[in-house]
Amino acid sequence: MRILFYLLFGLVGLLIQTAVFPRILPFYLKPDLILVLIVYIGISEKYSSGGLFSYGFGLLLDVFAGSSLGMYGVVFLLIFFGVRSTICYFNSENPFLLLFLVFCATLFQASLLVLLGAFAEAGALWQIVLHHLPGQLLMNVFAAVLLMLFVTWLQKRFFRLVVPGLQRLDERYDD
Amino acid sequence: MFDLLTRYRRQILISALILVSLLFYSSNLRRGGASTLFERAVLQMTVPIHSALDTIWQGAADIWTHYLWLVDTAEKNDQLLTQNRLLHSELMQVQEIRLANERLRKLLEFKAEVDLVTLPAQVISEDASSWFRTVVIDKGADDGVLEGMPVVVAEGVVGRTIRVAAQQSRVLLITDAASAVASLVQKNRTRGIARGVGADLTLDFALRLKDIAEGDLIVTSGTGGVFPKGLTIGHVDKVTPLEYGLFQPISIKPTVDFSRLEEVLVLLREGP
Repeated sequence: MRILFYLLFGLVGLLIQTAVFPRILPFYLKPDLILVLIVYIGISEKYSSGGLFSYGFGLLLDVFAGSSLGMYGVVFLLIFFGVRSTICYFNSENPFLLLFLVFCATLFQASLLVLLGAFAEAGALWQIVLHHLPGQLLMNVFAAVLLMLFVTWLQKRFFRLVVPGLQRLDERYDD
Repeated sequence: MFDLLTRYRRQILISALILVSLLFYSSNLRRGGASTLFERAVLQMTVPIHSALDTIWQGAADIWTHYLWLVDTAEKNDQLLTQNRLLHSELMQVQEIRLANERLRKLLEFKAEVDLVTLPAQVISEDASSWFRTVVIDKGADDGVLEGMPVVVAEGVVGRTIRVAAQQSRVLLITDAASAVASLVQKNRTRGIARGVGADLTLDFALRLKDIAEGDLIVTSGTGGVFPKGLTIGHVDKVTPLEYGLFQPISIKPTVDFSRLEEVLVLLREGP
């Protein structure tokens, strides 16, 4: 059920990013819903399953973004491992944890894209990334806030509904 | 040995996953621009969804424009009636210009038909990230599209196809950082490489001593093997004069409005 939730969220997020956001937002300013999902997976999943999920979503995003297959795969895998390996140092009770991690993950993603883009002859990718990074940070954090509010509303509105995955925040201390 | 593997299981797993992903990325870079089976399959599977979303969006926009946005219609109607009287007087003058325009257009169309075979396509989605500049069009291998084919609109060059599935293709826009187009300054034939930097382009390797000014037209040189010669790329937006060095930094403003890209033409005969 949890896996289904991730898949559903990831695929819907991908479709929204490719087909809906471009209609209402400029080319250079789209919230990265998949990144928010990867951060969430980093908070709540184990190394093996979360790593595979992150890599899989990265490959899917590669089909719809950029020109090098595998780039986002590596980026999301490293972001997942980054979040997963540092999450035990943060206070899980803090409601701003996800937002802070999304902020850091966006910075990390930008750095990795510039680094990996250098191998792909991506030219002045670093200029584009630097130019749009402040806006992207705001958009991603804003998207994370909206998603958190939406999920909280879902849980309140449908009292019995348990959104799969959201109950696993405390299991990160298991291993 | 087994104990060692068990003890460092997590570290080994992380290292293995990172290594495999890097190797996969590296192998794809070496393979160049060819679409993989995975990419073709995913692109193909999303065709109906993207088309359906496109139709739904068009429908919603139509309803909004024709029904919900008519609150102040009566007021606008009065204004339009006034405008209509003024425009009617101008119409007679425009008729003459229109006839001349039609003649010229026929000539242009004839020229286009003779030189290149074009395939009209619709832009159905854009790049999923904010960092790259690609769009998806609704024509693919079934329509004769191949990787590396130029994509244009009336205003100039749009980009080239980089991934082709059966019924849709991804186009790398010339404003993407990975795009490089062999170009020249139309007035004095100075050669250079037009590279994308997001919203605009830069003209690299333009010799410093060449006379290039703001507003000069930049066109494709035809030497890159992808774009035919003479297609408009943009106008020189800014020239930074340097006192020394071999080249001069030049910024180009593209003539194509990439934020309003809807219909494009794929130049079929110019494939690799």
